Amino acid sequence: MLQYSNEQDRFAGMTSPIIDASALRLALGKGSARVEILKSIDLAIGSGETVALLGPSGSGKSSLMAILSGLERADAGSISVAGLDFTRLDEDGLAAARRGRIGIILQAFHLLPTMTALENVAVPLELAGEADAFAWARAELEAVGLGHRLDHYPAQLSGGEQQRVAIARATAPRPVILFADEPTGNLDAATGAGIMDLLFDRQRETGATLLVITHDPELAKRCRRVVEMRDGQIISDRSAA
Amino acid sequence: MTIAWRLALREMRGGLRGLRLLIICLFLGVAGLAGVGSLGEAITAELDARGQEILGGDIEMRVAQREATPVERTAFGRVGIVSASIRMRAMASRLDAEASVLAELKGVDDRWPLYGALKLAPGALRPRPAGLDVAIAPELAERLSVRLGDRIHVGDTSLRVIGLIVDEPDRVGEGFTLGPTILLSQQGLGATRLVQPGSLFTTRYRIRLAGNQDAHAIAERLDDRFHDANWEVTDRSNAARGLRRTVEQLRQFLTLVGLTALIVAGIGVGNGVSSWLDQRRPGIATLKILGASSRIIFRIYLIQIALVAAGAVVAGLVAGAAVPALVGKIAGDALPVEPHFTLFPLPLLVSAGYGLLAALLFSLAPLARAGQVSPAAIFRARVEPFGLPRWTVLAPMAGAGAGIAALAIGTARDPLLSAGFLAGTVAVFALLGGIGWLVRRGARAVPRPRRPLLRLAIANLHRPAAQTDRLIVALGLGLTLFVMLAVLQTNLANQIERTIPATAPNFFVLDVPTDGIDRFRRTVRSKAPDAQITSVPSLRGSVVAVRGVRVADMKPVPKGAWILNGDRGLTYASVLPQGNEIVAGKWWPADYAGPPLVSIEEQAAKALALKPGDAMRLSVLGVEIDAKIASIRRVNWETMGFNFGIVFAPGTLEAAPHSYMATITLPDAHEAAINKAVIAAFPSASLIRVKDVVDQLSQVFGQLAMAIRAVASVTLAAGVAVLMGAIAASRRARLYDAVLLKLLGASRRQILAAQAIEYALLSVIVAGLALAAGTAAGWSIVTGIFELRWAPDWGVVLATLAAGATGTLGIGMLGSLPVLAARPAAALRTL
Repeated sequence: MLQYSNEQDRFAGMTSPIIDASALRLALGKGSARVEILKSIDLAIGSGETVALLGPSGSGKSSLMAILSGLERADAGSISVAGLDFTRLDEDGLAAARRGRIGIILQAFHLLPTMTALENVAVPLELAGEADAFAWARAELEAVGLGHRLDHYPAQLSGGEQQRVAIARATAPRPVILFADEPTGNLDAATGAGIMDLLFDRQRETGATLLVITHDPELAKRCRRVVEMRDGQIISDRSAA
Repeated sequence: MTIAWRLALREMRGGLRGLRLLIICLFLGVAGLAGVGSLGEAITAELDARGQEILGGDIEMRVAQREATPVERTAFGRVGIVSASIRMRAMASRLDAEASVLAELKGVDDRWPLYGALKLAPGALRPRPAGLDVAIAPELAERLSVRLGDRIHVGDTSLRVIGLIVDEPDRVGEGFTLGPTILLSQQGLGATRLVQPGSLFTTRYRIRLAGNQDAHAIAERLDDRFHDANWEVTDRSNAARGLRRTVEQLRQFLTLVGLTALIVAGIGVGNGVSSWLDQRRPGIATLKILGASSRIIFRIYLIQIALVAAGAVVAGLVAGAAVPALVGKIAGDALPVEPHFTLFPLPLLVSAGYGLLAALLFSLAPLARAGQVSPAAIFRARVEPFGLPRWTVLAPMAGAGAGIAALAIGTARDPLLSAGFLAGTVAVFALLGGIGWLVRRGARAVPRPRRPLLRLAIANLHRPAAQTDRLIVALGLGLTLFVMLAVLQTNLANQIERTIPATAPNFFVLDVPTDGIDRFRRTVRSKAPDAQITSVPSLRGSVVAVRGVRVADMKPVPKGAWILNGDRGLTYASVLPQGNEIVAGKWWPADYAGPPLVSIEEQAAKALALKPGDAMRLSVLGVEIDAKIASIRRVNWETMGFNFGIVFAPGTLEAAPHSYMATITLPDAHEAAINKAVIAAFPSASLIRVKDVVDQLSQVFGQLAMAIRAVASVTLAAGVAVLMGAIAASRRARLYDAVLLKLLGASRRQILAAQAIEYALLSVIVAGLALAAGTAAGWSIVTGIFELRWAPDWGVVLATLAAGATGTLGIGMLGSLPVLAARPAAALRTL
């Protein structure tokens, strides 16, 4: 396994918990169409924890993940991720904060269609200024069992393979936090199970904190902690049974 | 290679499908401008390269109605080798008098041509005419039905046709002519006995300088010395001055049309880039999730746009550079000189500059918006409008806009006109943008109709992500162009029709001998007793000095003082000519017999601030005459009669050798008989049939109209591309609507009707503005650039507007066909 060259730096200044959000609020739309998505959310997640975020559609799971991962800015509240105060960062500051710290896996894979599997995995490393981006990306793809698919474009890969590439892309920069939004939602049960095994394996290997949005109670059981949401609020926060 | 470059190049592997609109629009805009610029350069370069040939020498000395005096001739001979030629109008007829044609007689000496060579068609009996031989233009041979070896009658003699002229090297430099050429030796010209004191002929002495002398400086010296003796001096650097001016005028106009095409294309570029970036939103959001900053995103897409734009610009330049050769092949005969394929860097550079600046101006805003795409767009489709671009984007946009304006104004012959044209174009865009905004607001505010199709059509105008603004701009520009074209075309067509009064004469007759004017009247009346005949004495002369100031010392000659430009027609009259009106001073008594008096035309008098009592010196046939201005006259130039800028009182010019000019008005049926009778009785007179002149002018205006149509079609093509682009951009939303409507039981006809209603509403809304803007643009071109009378045909203009609106509606419907063809089940799986 390749060593992350500035691993020490990444953890420098980090205090536990790694995610600390309080009184988060988010509303979307304007005027009469305005909808309150998140209503005063408090959530703290420790380093290396695995957390499942459960809840029905429209409960605010994806929006909470978007704020925690710096993809969206909250209307109110405070949020600190990996020692960084996200409320003080603008959009480009948040993009810089994600680089190398945060990996995101999405239900619809969202691979860049014009790039090969190898290039897709290399992009975050390149953006982080990594000199050996391609060698590293190759090793990551081999680690997820896709060493034979390096030069394939997303359209030439199956759904399961595409999600493996997405996992490799998310874990390649050795992030301290991994977010996964229903990573098996677009896959059949068998393939989904394989993907979850891979995701947890990678999490264990890297020691990253993992937050998974899911509807699947079985998947939730694999996490140490389960947070449940409804109508923009956390209604339960417990250890998995 | 930076990360932005690497990612940009990787992205481009996906193909350029989304950027087709940008490629087409930039290509059309740049090709149009480069084509017009290259063609203008090619013609000017050809005129420059053939300057000596076109002028017939390094220097040309021209004088009317006389030949050089021995002193003058000796002075010309001291400068270089001299060749003399005389040109005049004359009637040429078959020996059996069955056909006669007005021709241009050109008598040349043995040294002619000093530059270039006379080219006769194969089979010529001799290499060049000598003695009583002539070479004639093929057109004349055809009209007189004569062959090589046949004889034709000119003046008092008959001449043998020895060849058909293929190339007369100095033809272009001799300007507009009414008839085909007859080339003959000076001996032959003498035999016709047409060159008489007072007859209308022009003598040219072309001088070939020895070695590499400065023709311009020598010409200026000759001008200083001989200006007062009515000589007009031209050197090889400004040969074919009138033609150059026309080419320059046409180039300026066509450049403005090309610039409009580029601005229309710019809208297409903006729309194309917006649509393309919209398709890339998920990819952009993904890159942001992976840590790409707005700046990197901006650069990634800027690089791609720049590369594609550069490719489109280069393709446009290649096409534009080929235009001169292409036009030469297709329409070479209609052009005064044949343009050749040569690369002209300046117009290509300017066109490339326009293209790249337009690409930058119109793609910066959508690029900046791409940088603003939120990574959260992955989770939800955002339809919230983007904010205004920041100053970091606005500043380069303003710079690109200023660059285009600077290029347009800096390279224009008439900067004010170009600036006005640009300002007008920007105003039309602003107005169309404003109308777009109002339409969206209005559509939102009106009560929802109960009929579902109408409701859908109106909802389409203001729905989130509606393309209303783009459609209005595209439709508005398209219709404005249609109106402008119709205004231009009808103005050109009407120039002749409306200028010719209903009572226009059938013939103008030149060179009727003074002692034969009564016999002339009798001859005409014997064939057509009802014919109306007017006749006036005719001489040529020039103004030498005004109020004691020599015209040669007036530099520049005041604008509008046309009576000072070289030789002018002069006459004398005892009564005020018909259609003239005295605005200052007094007309002389009919039996006036005092010192020389003149009456001056009002506009020329105004330009020179002349008033009754002022002194003028005129030169007539080498004799200088001091005259006093007696009156200022207003002349109605639109009557097709004889109108003169300077009219003498009786008692001064009668003694000078001169001839008469006459008009004959009669029923058309008598034309042939009059033609025959007058030529038989007056071999020295020239008959100009008005219908022939009208046909010739119509042909010239027709060619002009064709050039306008050719360039405007590029603009229209860009407009259509923009319209198609705007329709394509909204296709996804429309597809969704159409599929749902089909699911609910709507027929294709109903869906099409909803779209037709939407486009028809838009067409009606923008038609008014298009009519106003197109008319204003047309007016400024007709009166400002071509300096023609404003005479549009409103019926045709309105019909064109209606046809244009229907046409664009058709194009809109055509763009909707894929939406109609969508199969609900298949579409729902992919939407």
